[in-house]
Amino acid sequence: MPYDRTKSVIRFMKTLTGHVRGLDKVPFFAIIDEQFISRIMGITTREILSSPETYANCLIKTADFIKADTIQIPSAYAGPAEAYAFAEANNKMDSIKWYDYKPLAIKQGEVCETEEDIEKLEIPEHSKIDLWDTTYKTANIIREKTKFPQGMGLGIWSVVQELRGVNAFKDIRRNPDLLLKLCEKIYKSQLDSYNNWMEKVGEVRLVMYTGYAFNKHMMSFEDAMKYEGQFIKRFQKEIKSPFFLHNCGTKPYFREVCNEIDFIAVNGSHPLDIKYWIDFKKDFPKVTIMGANIDVSRELLTGTPQDVEEKVKENIINLAPGGRYIVSPICCLPWGVPLPNVLAIPKAIEKYGHYPIKGAQ
Amino acid sequence: MKNEEMLTRIKNSIIEGELEKTIDAINEALKIEVDYKDILNGAIIKGAIEVGELYEQEEYFLADMLMTGDAINAAMNILKDSFIEIAEESSKGSILIGTVEGDIHDIGKSLVVSLLNGQAFDVIDLGTDIPPEEFVKKAKEFKPDVIGLSGLLTMSISKMHETILLLKKEGIPSKVIIGGGIVSKNSCAMIGADDCAKDGWEGIKKINKIISNTKRG
Repeated sequence: MPYDRTKSVIRFMKTLTGHVRGLDKVPFFAIIDEQFISRIMGITTREILSSPETYANCLIKTADFIKADTIQIPSAYAGPAEAYAFAEANNKMDSIKWYDYKPLAIKQGEVCETEEDIEKLEIPEHSKIDLWDTTYKTANIIREKTKFPQGMGLGIWSVVQELRGVNAFKDIRRNPDLLLKLCEKIYKSQLDSYNNWMEKVGEVRLVMYTGYAFNKHMMSFEDAMKYEGQFIKRFQKEIKSPFFLHNCGTKPYFREVCNEIDFIAVNGSHPLDIKYWIDFKKDFPKVTIMGANIDVSRELLTGTPQDVEEKVKENIINLAPGGRYIVSPICCLPWGVPLPNVLAIPKAIEKYGHYPIKGAQ
Repeated sequence: MKNEEMLTRIKNSIIEGELEKTIDAINEALKIEVDYKDILNGAIIKGAIEVGELYEQEEYFLADMLMTGDAINAAMNILKDSFIEIAEESSKGSILIGTVEGDIHDIGKSLVVSLLNGQAFDVIDLGTDIPPEEFVKKAKEFKPDVIGLSGLLTMSISKMHETILLLKKEGIPSKVIIGGGIVSKNSCAMIGADDCAKDGWEGIKKINKIISNTKRG
């Protein structure tokens, strides 16, 4: 039976915005990257990206295969694709590495190896970058075919790390002004990307903000606000669409950041203790939880379908009553994750995720 | 200045991640003939350990650790230039480390390399995006006590697995530790690694433990 995308759109948007009335079941949000598409479709990354039609078809078929309610374009994310734009604008394409069955990557720190590189760094024009052109066209095709509202990705530190590498962390202590100059250039580049999206795709219905700085492993919360948070506040003045915060780090500052910045949802896999998320839901009733503790490198990678079912059940019965909970394994699904484990997610949602849901307590 | 005060000065400059101050202090210490073993054990290693503790207490963050790593590297280079025998005489063990193929992230690995250098380990850093065959080739050449496989991306787990399988097939006896935010005890056991570490400092502690157990055993 073909997957009912119209219901998926309604399910996802209602849950995201906290509308419980008429909600049939808990939605399933999956971050589908080029590696996972390669695995399902049996073609290489270059083949996936060879045309917007191929890219869109691959994404739709992969999402349908795992019965995900959402379709998110992996290259519309503020990571390697944004670094690719900077590399192209600054004649540093040698820093880009293509793989057959995984996303392209950039050699960290090569584009902004020296201070002079930062001073002279050209801000890319996304309309002239082939990868972004393909991304915009793909977004249009997906929206037409599935009616799923397309959202784009933004992020500062995720791009800083790609361009400046390990030196970015040293700059926090030895050269904060230079680092802020780089952040500012990335901010301007992201606004260019957003403006292109508005022109070529239309309204951005949702912003996936990749906030890698908001992690204790990375930096203090004060520094995270300096190098990421202040830019989110500025983005939010320019962009009226709702933002959700993605952070796949193991020590995220979700509570701290939600006290400072408005997010419609948070998307992470840690902390692993479900009690953290139960308390989070109580303290931030207007923030939707996408994920909680479904970490791709644990039950999904090393467990059985039964283990995955138990993990999804734990999340649903604790977090879904009252709405505002979306099942989401975080982050990208690694090559080694058995497909029966991935397929155990929609099965568990069918079993435990239909409203009304009886809670754990 | 007394030797003890000099060692404290070196240690503090390392804890503060002050590169220039560390270099000056080491040079001054050598000028007044402070024993290099005292500098290594009484200042550099102590400083590295204190910084690790500050990181665990969440008073220090990655940036502080990396600044300390730079100061330690500078200190070790001066000592090694001055005392050729230091590498052999005081080496606690040898580590071959690299980020696995398909992953070109090196921030966590850089931290581990810096701090291991500062704890008198011999470190061979292969860099990033290293194929399994390269790990095997270098392991045969250097015969390390420990091989460290680093990775940030979730997709790197399968490449770590492939690397471990090849190391075992080729009869490499070194212990293998995997590192990165993606690893867990379960994934470590599943792919046949001897241990795992979620971040750089945990990696340092685990490598110390593996090597002391190996030497004892």
